[in-house]
Amino acid sequence: MIYAFKRFLFPLAALGIAALSISAASPPDRWWEPGEGRTFPEKLAYPNDHGEIELILTGGALNTKGHAFFEPLGPNGRACVTCHQPADAMSLSLDSIRTQWNRTAGKDPLFAAYDGSNCPTLPQGERASHSLLLDHGLIRIERSWPPKDWAGKAVKPDFRIEMVRDPTRCNSGEYGPDKGRISVYRRPRPVANMKYLLAMGFPYDPKLGQPMDIDPETGKPVAGNLLADNRAPTLKAQMQDAALTHLGMLRGLNPEQRQQIADFETRIYAAQGVSKAGGRTDADGAAGGPRLLADAVPGKLGSIGRAVWSEFQPWEKDAPGLTAEQIAFRRSVARGARAFREKTFLITDSAGINTPVGFGNPVRNACNFCHNMSQMGNDVAPGQVDLGTTVPSFAEPAPHLPLFRVTCLARPHQFYGKSFLTTDPGFALTTGRCDDIGKITLQSNRGLAARAPYFSNALAKDLRGIVDYYDRRYAIGYTEQEKQDLVNLMSVL
Amino acid sequence: MSFALIAIAQSVQAAELRFTTCPVYRDTDYGRKSGCWLADDPLSGIRYDVSPAPTKPDWNLAILVEGKLAVRQDNPCGGVVLDPVRVSVLDEPCPRHMLPAEGFPGRLFVLPRRNVAPTGDPRPVDPPPYQARTFPIFFDYDRAFVTYQHSDWLLDLAVAWLQAAKPKRIVVTGYAVTQQGESKAIARARAERVAHSLKQYGIAGALVRTGVNPAPTDAEGSDGLIEPSRRRAEIRAEF
Repeated sequence: MIYAFKRFLFPLAALGIAALSISAASPPDRWWEPGEGRTFPEKLAYPNDHGEIELILTGGALNTKGHAFFEPLGPNGRACVTCHQPADAMSLSLDSIRTQWNRTAGKDPLFAAYDGSNCPTLPQGERASHSLLLDHGLIRIERSWPPKDWAGKAVKPDFRIEMVRDPTRCNSGEYGPDKGRISVYRRPRPVANMKYLLAMGFPYDPKLGQPMDIDPETGKPVAGNLLADNRAPTLKAQMQDAALTHLGMLRGLNPEQRQQIADFETRIYAAQGVSKAGGRTDADGAAGGPRLLADAVPGKLGSIGRAVWSEFQPWEKDAPGLTAEQIAFRRSVARGARAFREKTFLITDSAGINTPVGFGNPVRNACNFCHNMSQMGNDVAPGQVDLGTTVPSFAEPAPHLPLFRVTCLARPHQFYGKSFLTTDPGFALTTGRCDDIGKITLQSNRGLAARAPYFSNALAKDLRGIVDYYDRRYAIGYTEQEKQDLVNLMSVL
Repeated sequence: MSFALIAIAQSVQAAELRFTTCPVYRDTDYGRKSGCWLADDPLSGIRYDVSPAPTKPDWNLAILVEGKLAVRQDNPCGGVVLDPVRVSVLDEPCPRHMLPAEGFPGRLFVLPRRNVAPTGDPRPVDPPPYQARTFPIFFDYDRAFVTYQHSDWLLDLAVAWLQAAKPKRIVVTGYAVTQQGESKAIARARAERVAHSLKQYGIAGALVRTGVNPAPTDAEGSDGLIEPSRRRAEIRAEF
């Protein structure tokens, strides 16, 4: 069943925890099949392990019959919705992937050979050929090598790339840098709350030391926050890229289809609306849930406007009628929001943060230094930064991922030297610049509870994994309480 | 910091202090961006606080320090305060040096006066008539990167004026100060960076020129520092 998006009052216990759990059999319509022709209602909710994700479609319900976001447009039977599921905050959770594999014996279009398997050359009937998707939630992304810029013109890279390890066998043989194509593996990004990703808070990109980049097609500046490697400057370019790759279309989308998709993607908002432990996220003065996202003006810097996650400041004061557990959880969320903004630590050796902006290396700051946009927690500036998630010296061992050796041909990388290893060169696959290796565009923090695992390469399997990664990478020294507070905060976003 | 040390510092400082050194980070915690950057002058041995510089050091690399003694010596970091001051990050590697706070508070971060306004905020410009005008954009040593919350603000001011004034011709001249050891190539890189930025703001067609060793300027953004003021590109609007 689709959960009616009703404004039920606290306490949540009245609903019964079991009703909110997805560990039981999933509702049959949790998964949106391409071409179903369902009506997408104005309000929609789905349960997850932490409560409920809620979605708002501004402008009213949508008949998805014949709609380009929901119809299978290419030969592989997929639609945009295949990898951008409403129940998963318009991304794709590992739980959903596994459920769909089991439900269809691997026949769902999600598992298409092109990118739903580790490599199209592998035997497609075997689970092992889809292990990156089934075990980590990772889709194959094929990039050209040498890179091409936004206008499609070849870029001469200032680094060389070689294979060290190719567990998927998609960076050797007929694939790989020697054949002009590189395979990396990434999580699908949520296509909700889009106005925040498209917003330009400032006309200047401090990370590049120049005005915002210009879309070569329109001549207009763009925000640069859509894709992990910023390979597409606009929604139009992004959907065309997706159509030609993930959907397997030969000619791409026509203008009417693009308009339909853009219309939907700019109307859909998603955020956790209900917490199992804390109740409605907009209860007792708090402002969680998608409504604020739909109503607020995007692109505002939290440090000079509405502080990031101050939506939960009212929970610093206890509301009447709550149980001790509910009070404790809400206090924890409020503390987590403060820790997100105020718990400072030394940010070191991170390209895009410590250089070349001039903040200094190290610089003392908090999570909201980069996750700085009000209501959303993405970067107001184009968010290409290197957190170390794709570099073995910082990340957990990832033997399932390809490993590249990159050698900088001009100046060495500012922090990693002339030659080093990475599982995903990231932004450098778009710019061709050694300095950009490992930079991944910061994500929104919304809907996290619905879309594990996290980071572009699924480095963190759960919310705690995110905190633990940062704690280790930057030697923050969070207390156990602070870690739990941050997890609880993220669970209600 | 003793008055005696400040007096010594004043005595060794002529018009403008200038030296290269490895930076020292003092890990003070007065909230975000409150850490201190210290720099020891290798000639005098005096430790200076260079934290007010628009560009902060990288603890992996040497820095060029150029500045004047601050009027206010409140000693939040454990060094004689330089303000105005410029830090340029050089290519020479340095060993990392980090000190604990040792009782120094650091500085509470305050948004600098020179910060680019959000998109859509009004950018007041003087009313016409408009006359020929030159806008300098300053750079760190041997760099063509437009510095955050300093030169980006100067560029933003220039763009707002140019969009209102609509001059007949714009000439961007990048300078290198070879007398300081900069290469001539950096002059072109600076000119092209500024011309490219103007183009991205919708102001196309600027002529690009280069020069070397310009005279100092006391224009907005120089803060009275002589040598840093020579490392610049100029946007010249002609009617």
